[in-house]
Amino acid sequence: MNLESYRMYLIAVRGGLTDEKSRDLQRFIRHHEGFILMVTRTGPIVALDEAKSTLVSNHPLVEFMGPVELNPRGFAARQLESIFAANLGKQVELVYDGEDSALSS
Amino acid sequence: MGLGATVGADLLAVPFPKMVFDLASAIAKGQTALDRASLGTLRVLANTEFDYVPEITEVISEGPKETVGGVEVTGVDVTVRPTRAIPLTLLQAGLTPSFYQFTESVIEVKMSISSKVSTQSEFEFGVEATASAGFLFASGSVSSHVDFRTSNTYSYSAEGSSLLRTTLKPVPPPARMMPRFITVNTLVQPPQITTSE
Repeated sequence: MNLESYRMYLIAVRGGLTDEKSRDLQRFIRHHEGFILMVTRTGPIVALDEAKSTLVSNHPLVEFMGPVELNPRGFAARQLESIFAANLGKQVELVYDGEDSALSS
Repeated sequence: MGLGATVGADLLAVPFPKMVFDLASAIAKGQTALDRASLGTLRVLANTEFDYVPEITEVISEGPKETVGGVEVTGVDVTVRPTRAIPLTLLQAGLTPSFYQFTESVIEVKMSISSKVSTQSEFEFGVEATASAGFLFASGSVSSHVDFRTSNTYSYSAEGSSLLRTTLKPVPPPARMMPRFITVNTLVQPPQITTSE
């Protein structure tokens, strides 16, 4: 899996986030090889292939979607990083095939 | 008009200034749209709060002792005490919007001009002589013809293609768009002030 073109996006869900909307959107993102890094009251923070960002931003549940970055000097950057890593760890599997290890979702 | 002049005129006909203007105009519009989108993200980040728990204290204390299979096991109690949750915006926490900038733009114009002139000439010359003689008279005639045919073929073609290429790169957020966080810690004396960008 090539992660070079993956970027982090913040999604604001149309009409407020509910459990059902959150699940639907998360399924859609996972279906398009994206990863859920964190879920906020506005919507999920996801890692997604840049090429598929338009596809997700056109989803009827998506009101707004913008690329974001983690500022390492932020007040809770380390904690956010840990949350992202923990959630990512639940969605990927590290496959060891001899010399190189590869990510598979 | 000579061939060279035609080629020169065709090269001059390339609307280069218009192409540059159109590209620059498109880049300016694109940059504005990108900046607007980034500012929209900034707004969402600044309005999205979450409960940040800075510390969780785990207190391990001796619990009631149990006996398992005749062996006395020391019981342990773990009390988890999270500190008071602080409402924090995603922006305060450390998420920032990505800003993009057009760093390089290239206009490439390719022209292929070809011209071909071919001349074909045909020349034919013929002489015909007839003679006859009788008892009282004799006659003779000579006729000749010259055919000259010439044709000129002139072909000219000009083909052009243009390529516009721009590079978009993520850049750090403009300093004036991002708020500066000033933290005043009044728990220590004198109060400690830290500033983060």
